[in-house]
Order: sequence, then structure tokens, then C-alpha cells
Amino acid sequence: MSTDTPDSVDDFRTNQSWLYDTTAGSYLRSILVGIAVLLCAGFVLFPLYWLVVTSFKTTAEIQQIPPTIYPHDWTLEGFRLVVESSIRSGGYEDLVQRLFGVQVSSAIDIDVIGLIANSLKVSIGAGLIAVAFGTLGSYVLSRRDFAGKNLLMSLFLASLMFPGTAIMVPEWELFNTLNLFNTHLGLVLLYGAMTAPFVVWLMKGFFDDFPSSIIDAAHMDQCSPYETFRYVIVPMARNSLIASFIFAFLLAWNELVFALTLLANTKYTVPPGLLTFVQGFNVQWNVVAAASILVSIPVLIGLAYIQQYFVQGLTGGAIKG
Amino acid sequence: MTRLEIDSVTKRFDGPNGSIVAVDDLSIDVEDGEFLVLLGPSGCGKTTTLRMIGGLEEPSEGDVRFDGVRVNEVKARNRDVAMVFQDFALYPHMTVERNLGFGLEREDADRSSDEIETRVREVAEMLEIEDLLDKKPAALSGGQKQRVALGRAIVREPRLFLFDEPLANLDAQLRKTMRTEIDELQSEMGITSAYVTHNQEEAMTIADKIAILNDGALQQLAAPADVFNSPKNLFVAQFVGSPDMNLFDATLTPDGDRYRVDFSGGDFHVPAAFFPDDVDASEVIIGFRPQDLFRQSSSEGRSDHAGPVVDTEVRVIEPLGTEAIVHGESDDGSLTSTLTRFHEIAEGDSVQFTIAPEHVYVFERDSEELIKGRMDTETDEAGTVTAPDA
Repeated sequence: MSTDTPDSVDDFRTNQSWLYDTTAGSYLRSILVGIAVLLCAGFVLFPLYWLVVTSFKTTAEIQQIPPTIYPHDWTLEGFRLVVESSIRSGGYEDLVQRLFGVQVSSAIDIDVIGLIANSLKVSIGAGLIAVAFGTLGSYVLSRRDFAGKNLLMSLFLASLMFPGTAIMVPEWELFNTLNLFNTHLGLVLLYGAMTAPFVVWLMKGFFDDFPSSIIDAAHMDQCSPYETFRYVIVPMARNSLIASFIFAFLLAWNELVFALTLLANTKYTVPPGLLTFVQGFNVQWNVVAAASILVSIPVLIGLAYIQQYFVQGLTGGAIKG
Repeated sequence: MTRLEIDSVTKRFDGPNGSIVAVDDLSIDVEDGEFLVLLGPSGCGKTTTLRMIGGLEEPSEGDVRFDGVRVNEVKARNRDVAMVFQDFALYPHMTVERNLGFGLEREDADRSSDEIETRVREVAEMLEIEDLLDKKPAALSGGQKQRVALGRAIVREPRLFLFDEPLANLDAQLRKTMRTEIDELQSEMGITSAYVTHNQEEAMTIADKIAILNDGALQQLAAPADVFNSPKNLFVAQFVGSPDMNLFDATLTPDGDRYRVDFSGGDFHVPAAFFPDDVDASEVIIGFRPQDLFRQSSSEGRSDHAGPVVDTEVRVIEPLGTEAIVHGESDDGSLTSTLTRFHEIAEGDSVQFTIAPEHVYVFERDSEELIKGRMDTETDEAGTVTAPDA
């Protein structure tokens, strides 16, 4: 291909477009892009906004038609009910009455603190299992060649695409046979198994990029295989391990269907627990919203702290020599 | 302080299409304190050899011995060797200080942390990286990383140093400085070393002994000057020296106490004394080093010689500052030479190049083995060449 050399400055200008090459055009483009971004952001964030405003509305205002965009009468009624119900069902009424002189009475009987504790137990357990098994599996898949390796990787991928509810019935049978029904251990094992394949894929990407010369260097520095793993590989894999853990943790934290089916309501985790707020004909949506916000707070705090590692771990920029 | 022996070592890798021989029946002895350079093109097995010395690979056949003790099955971590890698392989999550001290920490000998710190400081001072001790590798420049990698190797005072193309990732200027530094460090510490490179210039500068490999097989094991002057075969001759040697097909006929060499550029005589006694080849390849060629008319050469004269037309002159590489076109192919007085000629000029007969290389054409190498000659002040006693 030959390029024509323009004879004069005028020749350069023939290619110019108003939209791309003038100041006004670039302003217009910025404005259009900005509007598009705002629309997308609104689309994504509106449900969250609606949750927050609903929690501050009164029951009457929630049922009002047309709905109000923001609460006219700000009220903490929803939060009060949630906190009171937690105190009561947690058995702290007497303590609170003696300390603050407040008589706690609540129509609802749900222990939010208990729900969070259950969920943390299940989610942390599942996260640890997924990370432990996923990391070991991915290390082998990345470092060794063996027959059926690609098939195994495809199976792991396929298992991620499978809707969990499709295996609900056999899972129920399995839980009964193993005597795991209504135990948190059962859910820990189940969630761990569900998320481990994802961890395998994530960590395999990490191990594939892991420079083998660093492992050689560790051997030269007189490390045993265990010492290499402990002092070199694990510290370098920290970000990816955290990302894997968060992924498994969040899946377990948000999972509703299995928790609802395989637990009785005394052992509910957060998602089925929140569902119990939605009962009867007269649902108190402000209470449900308030409960949702309250149970999200511990996770939000945790994620805010480690999200930097999460992003680094997912994007794989973890190793820089 | 270790004498290293590689005894008929073969290494095969099992690939999908049968096994691949990476190193083929290789034997090399390295004396205590010697600097061995493994030189060869990519994929010639030099890195595999180094990894076998280090214990990162096990030989399929043959023995690796340290001071006469067979170490084939000894794991890398028990061999007390240190290696510098091409990509430096520093631990990214540790500071420079911990990178340097890590090997000492892991050593079985119980060292106190004070001892380790003192030793690390000593080495850091030696390499002038004291200011970097608290930094992580990501914050260092290429040269600094290389120094840290070197430091990590010398801090333990191992039995052997292994270098796997340690300078390949550095820029040209730095490569030269570091090359000298590695050479000095090694002589200072007197530790036996093996160094892998594909850069012949690097090999020539730092080696006590060069092992040239091709396709896993040893081509020649000799001192740098011998490799240059008496390359065992055509491969070595072409691989060593820059620019490449000029090669021509020729025939060799005995002619009294001389040999007549006929090639497309003409014929010339070489005294039989320069050849070994039993030359029966007549089909040969002759080679001229670009550095040995000079202009017939110039006084930079010798006044009295009987070498071949090649008429060329200068095609390209690549000035390198003090000298230039001159690419010429002659009737029988191209001819490359390096000239210091290149300002006198211009592209398009026709120039006659010539070479002293003792500098001509002669190889057997079929086996590509060397028949006659380059002989160093002394030129007296008048420019008269004194032929060496051959």
C-alpha cells in the first residue's frame, strides 16, 4: 500500500470530521458518553437505591400508589423492628431492660445476629474448602501432563454452567443418606464443592503464569518442596487466593435455594432467613429492606477492606519480578 | 572449591513424538576455580547441561561428579550450588535484604539472624546495593535486579556458580559492565563457574574455557584463543567471531614444499609447513576472517605477502566509530571485512582485498573438519612478516 503525501496543510484537513476534530465536537462526545454512563449506572444501582429508601419508609407509604421516589416521612421503624426481634429471639430482653430500661416487644421473631453467625460459619467454611481443594487441583493441572487433563478441565467448566437446582433432588437424597440434613457441615461441603471448580480455573491461570525459574531459584536456595510452597508460592499467590476465597464466600453467602431446602428454619442462613420476613398477606417491606441492609453490613466492611487484593487477583497482575 | 566433571552425559526428554535428545554424550572437565562457558545457538542443550550440573534435571545417562563424587541423584538443594537466572527470578514478595538472606536462612547450618544480616550487608556493599536493601524487586531497574540476583548467588559462597544467560535481559551498555564485574567477582572468589550464553563475544571475554555445543553435541572444548584460531570444524568457525567468516570452495594441490589453493577468486600458495603432515584432501573450504583482510594498496597490511587477492566492489560501509564493516561484492559472492581506515573508500569503489596465507583457514569440504587454522604472526616494524615455526 502506498501512502499519498499531502502537498500542503489543506490536504490534511480534508480528513477531518466535526465530531472528532473540533473542540465543540469533543465536548458533545463527552456529554453523550457521560449520559450513557449515567443511564447504565442508574440501571445497575436503582435496585440498591430502592432497597435503601424502602427501609426508611412507613408501611403505608410503601403501599401508596403511585410509589414515592424518596420517603416523605423518614422512619426507622423497619430497623427498630429488626433489632427488637433479634434481641428478643436471641434472649437478650432482660439484659436490655436492665441496662437501658426499655421494654422490648416485637411481633416478628427472627434472630438476625444468629442468621449472620450461621451464614459466616457456612460461608467461611465453604471458602476455605474451595480454596484448599481448588488450589491443589489447579497446581496439578497446571504443572503436570496426564491423560484426560483437558476433559477434566472441561468438566470443571461445565459444572459451573450447570444450574444448581437441577441437582436438587439427588442432592436431597445424598444429604439424607449421609445424615447431613439440617446441618451446617452439609452446606459447607456442598458450597465448597460448587465453587471449587471456579477456583481451579482462577488459580490455574495464576500457576500457568508462575515463572518456573522462581521455583528453581527456591530449590537452589536449599528449600524443600514444602518450604518452596510455604515461603515462595503461597506468599506470591496471596492475591489470587484471596480472590478465590471471596468468590466462594460470596456464593455461599448469597445462596438461597439449597439453604432453604436442606436446613430447617432453626438453622437458617441469611438468604432463607430474610425470606421468613416475607410472610403472610401483609408483608412489612420496610422490615425486610432494613434486615437486608443490616445483614449486608458485615460483608460490605469485609469486602471494602480486601477488594484491592480481589481485583489484583482476578486480573492476574499478581506477579511482578 | 570444586572440580566439576561431566562424564558422557546424555539427556533425553520424552515428547509427544518420541524422545528428544537434548544433550548427547557430553564430557567436560572443569578444574577448580575455572570459568567454563557453554556456548551455542538456541536449543543446543547448553541450558539443559547447566540444569543438570545444578541438579534441576537428572541425566538420562552418564555421570555428573563434584570432586570425583557422583551427584546424579543429589537434589539441587543439597548440592550447595548457586544459580543466576536470565529473568533474575527474584522473589517479588520479599525485600532485597530477604532475597539475599533467604538462602542462608534455609541452610541447615544454624546461623543466627545477626550473622545472616552481617553477611548480607557485606555482599550488598561489595555489589554497591546497600541503598536498595529495603526495596522490593518491582522497584528496581534491570541492572539493579541483576546485581541482587548475583548477590543472592555469592552470599552463600557455594561450591559452584551457575549462570544461565544472566545478561540477556540487560541493555548493551550494562551488559558490558556486568560482564566485567562477573568476571572480576569470579576470579576474586575463586569459585568454579559454568556460564551459559549464545553470545560469542561474551563467551570470549569471560571464559577460561569455552565448550561449544550444537544439537546437544560438544563441538570443541578449548581456551577462547584456540577456539578462535583453531576452530575444530566449520560450525565453530562460523559461530565464533563477528562479523561472520568469509567462506569459499577451493581445491588443494601439493606443489613442492607448498600447497596451491585454487578458488574462484584466483589461486595462491601456502607453505606446506603451515599444514599438518598428512593432508590428503583436495576438496576444501577456505575461510577468511573479516579482521584479517586488508586492502592490497594500503600500508596497514604487510608489504611482503603471497596471499590471494580478491577484487570487490564496495556495496555497503557500516561505520562503527573506530572501524567499519565493509560489505563488498566480488565475482564469486560477497566479502565482508573490517577496516580501520575506511574513510578513504566510498560505496561503489572497487577495492582489492588480500590476506596473509597464515591467516587463511582451511576445512575439509565433506567432513567440515579443520585442516589448517589461523596462525598468529609477528609483524616487525618494517612490515615484514615472520612466519611462525610450524
